[in-house]
Amino acid sequence: MNAASATVFAAVLALAAFAVWRTLKKGAPCECGCSRKTCPGKCPSCTGCNGR
Amino acid sequence: MSIKIALAGNPNSGKTTLFNALTGSDQYVGNWPGVTVEKKDGILQGRKDVVIQDLPGIYSLSPYSLEEKVSRRFLVEENPDAIINIVDGTNIERNLYLSTQLAELGIPMVMAVNMMDVVRKNGDKIDFARIAKALNCEVVGISAVKNEGGRDAAMKAVELAEKGAARKSEVPHVFSGSVEHAIAHIEESIQGKVRKSAIRWYAIKIFERDREIISDLGIGVGDLKHIEEHIRDCERELDDDAESIITSQRYEFIKNLMDKSLTKSEKRRNKATLSDRIDKIVTNRILALPIFILSLCAMWWIAVAEGGPGTVLTDWANDGFLGDGWHLPFTTHEVDGRDYGTACEDYAKAEATIKAWEAGEKTASVEDEETGETAEEWQVDEAAYNAAKAVEEPDPSAYGVWVPGIGALIGGALEKMGVNDTVASLVNDGAWGGVSTVLGFVPVIFVVFLFLSFLEDCGYMARVAFIMDRLFRKFGLSGKSFIPMIVGKGCGVPAVMAARTIENKRDQRMTIILATFIPCGAKTVIIAMFAAVFFREMWYVAPLMDVIGIAIIVLGGIALKKSSAFAGDPAPFVMELPAYHMPTLSGIWHHTWNRVKAYMLKAGMIIFPACVFLWFIMNYDFHFNLVGADGIDRSMLATMGGWIAWFFAPLGFGTWQGAAASVSAEIAKEQATATLGLVAAGFDGATTASNITALFGTFSDYPKLAAMSFMLFNLFIPPCMVAIAVTFREMGSKAWGWFAVGFQLLVGYVLAMSVYQIGMFCAGGSFGVWTAVAILADIAAAWFVLRPARKEAR
Repeated sequence: MNAASATVFAAVLALAAFAVWRTLKKGAPCECGCSRKTCPGKCPSCTGCNGR
Repeated sequence: MSIKIALAGNPNSGKTTLFNALTGSDQYVGNWPGVTVEKKDGILQGRKDVVIQDLPGIYSLSPYSLEEKVSRRFLVEENPDAIINIVDGTNIERNLYLSTQLAELGIPMVMAVNMMDVVRKNGDKIDFARIAKALNCEVVGISAVKNEGGRDAAMKAVELAEKGAARKSEVPHVFSGSVEHAIAHIEESIQGKVRKSAIRWYAIKIFERDREIISDLGIGVGDLKHIEEHIRDCERELDDDAESIITSQRYEFIKNLMDKSLTKSEKRRNKATLSDRIDKIVTNRILALPIFILSLCAMWWIAVAEGGPGTVLTDWANDGFLGDGWHLPFTTHEVDGRDYGTACEDYAKAEATIKAWEAGEKTASVEDEETGETAEEWQVDEAAYNAAKAVEEPDPSAYGVWVPGIGALIGGALEKMGVNDTVASLVNDGAWGGVSTVLGFVPVIFVVFLFLSFLEDCGYMARVAFIMDRLFRKFGLSGKSFIPMIVGKGCGVPAVMAARTIENKRDQRMTIILATFIPCGAKTVIIAMFAAVFFREMWYVAPLMDVIGIAIIVLGGIALKKSSAFAGDPAPFVMELPAYHMPTLSGIWHHTWNRVKAYMLKAGMIIFPACVFLWFIMNYDFHFNLVGADGIDRSMLATMGGWIAWFFAPLGFGTWQGAAASVSAEIAKEQATATLGLVAAGFDGATTASNITALFGTFSDYPKLAAMSFMLFNLFIPPCMVAIAVTFREMGSKAWGWFAVGFQLLVGYVLAMSVYQIGMFCAGGSFGVWTAVAILADIAAAWFVLRPARKEAR
C-alpha cells in the first residue's frame, strides 16, 4: 500500500470512528423538526425533541 | 439572583413562539395543542438575570392532565417572580378562564393578548384597561408570530417582578356572596400553612375539594369538617356541586367582563369566519377523509411523480450534483446537431456494439438507465462494429459549462493521488456510495417536509387529528392517539414520546405500538427510492404507503382493543382548533430546514460509518482475505446474510443481499437504501437505479412484487433501533417492549408475505406452501379484527 492509499484509508477510518463516537455521545439526530441534534432522553432541556 | 418569569396560557396560544422570540431559542413550535409537555427554560435576550420558563399549554389549573399537573406544580411550588399569561386575542373569552385562576395565585402577572394583528384585521376592539382593572394585572397587546410587543410584555413582567407588585395588592373576587363567604372561612383555616399571597387560590381549590391540595396541606379532621359544612351550605343554596359552582361563576364573571371589554365588528358578528367556512368543507363528515387522502396524494405527487419537481431535483442530485456532474442551465448547446444526452446515448450504443461484436454475439442492446430494462436492441455486423469504433466519448465541457459532481471530484482526486483500487473502492463504493445514495433523496425529503410544515402551520394538521378522532372513536380509539402519529410522520422517536400525554396506560401502550406504523422521514427515503426505481409510472404507490400505515393503525387498534389488556372506553379528546392562517415563510423554512438538516446529519453520523463497516465485511472473508467483487459471495456479509436469508424467502428476497439490507435498516431506516446501493454496485449498471433493478431481478421472477414486498416489510416492521429503545423505555417493562416489537414484526412480515405470495399467484405463479401460509395468516388477521370483543373488553 502506497503512502497516498494509507493516508486515505486512515482518514476514512478516523472519520467513521469520529462519527460513531459523536453519535454515541450526543445521540442520533431525528427529523422531528426540532433543532436539537440529539434524541429524546439525551436532551435534558427539550425532553424529547419536539418538546415532549 | 435571577428573576424567574413563567409563560403560561392555553394550548396553541403562541407560548413557544413568544418563548423563542424572547430567548432566541429554537424550540419546536407545532400548530396543534399539546406541543409542550414539560417546562423549558431560556434566558431573556439582553437580560442575563431573567429566566423565561415556557410551561405546557393548559386550560385550567385543575390536576386532570399531565400538562396541568406540570404547570400547576411549577406555579404553586416554585413560585416564579412574575407570570406572562399569553392569551389568544381571537378567542379571548375562553382563554380568560385560566387567567382568572392565574390571577388568584397572587403572582405579579402581565396578560399578553396575542394575535392582535388578526384581532385588528377582524375589526374587533379589546378594552385592555378594563380587563387589567378587573383581573388586577397589566395587559399588553402582542403578535408573537410577527414579533410585535412580546419584548414589551417581558419587560413589563420584569418591572412587576422587581417591584413584587401583585403580592401586596388584592386578587380579583369573581364569585357570589355565599361562595366568597365560604372561601373567606377556608382562608382563615389555612392561614400559616400556605404562602400568604396565594392563600385565595388554595382556598378556592379546597372549596372545589381538590384532593391533591387537601392532602398536601395536611388539614386536620376538625378543620376539614368545619370547611365541609361551609361548602355544603353553598351547594345547598346554589343547588349545584362545589366544582360546578366555581366553574359557572367564573364563566359568568368572564362573560360580564367581555360584554364590557370586547367589541366585535358588526361584520364579524353576523358572519361565519373564514376558518368556519373552510372547516365546513375540510371537516365535513363525508368529505374530510377524501380531502386528507387527496392532500397526501398531492404531497407525494409533487415529491415522486415522473417529471414532478421532486423527481427532477432528485435526478439532478443523484446524477449531477453528487454523481458525474451537470451543465449549468442556459449554457448548453448542440455539437454537430446533437445535444449532450444524445451524444452519450450514441456513445453507449457504440460501446455496446463493440462489446457484442468482440464477444461474438449477433445482437447488442442498451438498458434504460432508470429501470435497467432493455431499452433498445439491434443487429451487429462488421460495418456497424467499424462505425462504432470511430465514435468518440463525448466531452461534456464541449456542450456547455460543465460543473463536475462530488462523486467525480472524489474519484478524480483519488486517481490523481495514485490511491490503489481497494482503497478507492472503499471511498467510492463504500463511504461515498452509501452516503450519496441517501443524500440523493434530500430533494424528496425536502418536498415532503415542506408540505407537512405548510399543512401544520396553516392549521390543517390539527383538523386531521379531529377528523381521525371521529374515525378512531368508532373503533374504540381516541383522536388523542393520532397526535403522536402526526408527530411520527417526522420521526418515530418523538412519536413514541408523545404518547406520554395519554393518561390511560392501556391507550398509551397501544398508541406506542401503533404510532410508528406511520412512515417516518427516514422511511420516506425507502418509499422515494422504490417509487423512483420500480414504480416510476405509478406515483400513487407512495401515498398508498401512508394510507396502508393508517389502515394498519385502525385495524391493529381494533384487534388490540378486543383483548382484555387494551379494552376500555377511549380517552376523552378535547382540542381547540386553531384559526387557519397563512403560514410565514420563515416558519415553514425553519421547520423544514431543521428536519432536512437532521436527515443530512444522520447521513454523515450514522450512514457513513455503517457503510464503511458494511464495505469491509462485504469485501473480506472471515480469514480477512480480500475477496473483491468477484468473490463477494464468500464475504463475511454474504455468509452472515446467508444464515438468515431463509427468513426472507417467503417474502421474495431470501438472499444475503435482501437480508443484509433489511437487517442494516434497523440502524436507521434509510440505511436500507444505502445498503442496497452498496450490494448492487457489482452489477456495473449505468446508475444505482439500474443496479438495484438488476439485483431484484436475481431475487425473484417477479422483481416488482419482490420490491413491493421489501418496501412493505421495511416500512411496517419495528422502527429503527433508537425508536425501539425509546419504546422499551416508555412501555416501562421489558415484556411490553417485546410485545410491541413482536407485534410490529408480525404485522410487517404477514403484510409483505401476503403481497408477495398472493400477488405472485395472481400473476400466474404456482400455488405453493407459502401461498397457503399467507392466506391462512390473512384469515387469522381478519379473525383478530372481526372477532367479538372479550367479556372484559365489552
